[in-house]
Amino acid sequence: MLAEKMPQSEFEFPYHKDSNELLKALNTKYPFLADLKFSLAVDKQLVQENTPLKGNEEIALLPPFSGG
Amino acid sequence: MSRFERQTILPGFGQEGQQKLKAARVLVVGAGGLGCPALLHLAAAGVGTLGIADGDNISESNLNRQTLFGHQHIGKHKAETAGELLKEKYPDVNFNVISEFLNNSNAIEILRDYDLVLDGSDNFGTRYMMNDACVLLDKPLVMGAIYQYEGQVTVFNYGENPVNYRDMYPNAPQPHEVPNCSETGVLGVLPGLIGTLQATEAIKIISGIGKVLTNKVLFYNLKTSGFFEVAVAPNSDLKKELPASEEVFRSKDYNITCGLSESIDWKKALDWKHSLKSCVLVDIRELEEEPVFERVDISKIPMSVLNQDQDKVRSFENIILFCKSGKRSEHMAAELKKQFPEKKVFSVDGGIMHPASPVNSEEK
Repeated sequence: MLAEKMPQSEFEFPYHKDSNELLKALNTKYPFLADLKFSLAVDKQLVQENTPLKGNEEIALLPPFSGG
Repeated sequence: MSRFERQTILPGFGQEGQQKLKAARVLVVGAGGLGCPALLHLAAAGVGTLGIADGDNISESNLNRQTLFGHQHIGKHKAETAGELLKEKYPDVNFNVISEFLNNSNAIEILRDYDLVLDGSDNFGTRYMMNDACVLLDKPLVMGAIYQYEGQVTVFNYGENPVNYRDMYPNAPQPHEVPNCSETGVLGVLPGLIGTLQATEAIKIISGIGKVLTNKVLFYNLKTSGFFEVAVAPNSDLKKELPASEEVFRSKDYNITCGLSESIDWKKALDWKHSLKSCVLVDIRELEEEPVFERVDISKIPMSVLNQDQDKVRSFENIILFCKSGKRSEHMAAELKKQFPEKKVFSVDGGIMHPASPVNSEEK
C-alpha cells in the first residue's frame, strides 16, 4: 500500500540530521504517509528510536503485512 | 529404504535430525495460502505431530493459493479437509484438527501442547494475539505474511536475544492505517513460497541444522525477484506492550476489524474527523429525522441521496457514516466500500442513539 502510493520504489531524499527529522520531511512531502503504518530501517537495521543520520544511509519504509 | 532416506543421508541431518522431527509437535495456525504449503512440507518431512487450526471453510477463490484443496473441496471445512488429505498421504504423522479460529480465550490451552508455532493467519488481530501468547509461553513462532507481491518471514522468540512482533511493529495498526486485507489481490505462488520458507525455518529449529532466521526479517519482492534482510533488535521499552500475565492476555482486546466496512466508536469517529487528512463525517439520516443534530464538522447527506449519487463523498479518502442506530450506516458503508475499494469507509457503531454519541453529551 506504501509502494504503490510513492512516486518511485527507490529514490534519493535530501539530508536530515536524524530519523525523526527525516520522517517529518517525508510526511510533509508525502502527506498520505501520516495515515499509514510502517517501521523505519536505517541501513537494513530496524529502528524504533530517533537515530542520527550521516546522509549516505539507505532508508527503508517497511509496512506490516497481514495476509496469509 | 525408508520414507526419509534422502533426508537421513544428508550430512549434518542424519537419523538424529529425523528423530527430532518425529518427536516434534508443531502447530500451524491457518490452513490457508501460507498454511497449505507449510503443512504439506512439514508432514512430508516427518514432523511427528501437526496441529491444524482454522475455523474457515474452503471457497472457490481460495484455490489459486491454498494448494492442498481442489474443486471438490469447496464448502468443506479447511482444517478437517487438510487433516484428512494429509493423513491419507502421510499415515505416520499425527494430525490434530482444531476446527476453530484461535483467539485469546482458547490460544493458551491449545499452544501448551506444542513445541513450535507457525503463523499462517491472515489478519493483524490473530498475529498480535499469537505473538503475545508465544511470548507468554516462550514458544518459538515462525511468522510469515504477505501483501500483494511482497512477503516477509522471520522467527520470533528463539535464540539468545529473542525478538517478537512488537519489536518490529509495537502496536497493531488502526483500521484506517491498513488496506482491507480480505480484498487485496495475491498471486498464488507468493504464499506458496513464503509458507515453504516458514516450514524450512521450523525444520531447522527442530533439527538444529543451519542458522535460524532470527533477529532479522527476510523480505521478498516477487516483481523484482529481490530478497533483502532487515535486522531487528530486542527493545526493552516495548516490553510494556506485551501482556504481563495470562490473565491480562485473556482480557486484552485483539479484535482489529478488517472487512468490507468497519465499525468504529464515536470517540474514534470524532478524533479521526479532526486528525486524519481528507476525512468526512456524514449523517446519512433523512433530513426530517429527529433528533436534529447540527455541527460544523458533520456533513448531512441522506442515504436516499447517497444511494443515487456518491459525488459528495468522492473527494475524501476516509468516509465515516452514522445514522440513528448504526444499521443503515453499516449497510451504506459496505455499499460505498464496493464503489470505492481504495477508500477507507467506516460506520459509527450504535449511531446517534449510542450513549457515547455527541448528541447526548451536548444535551447535558
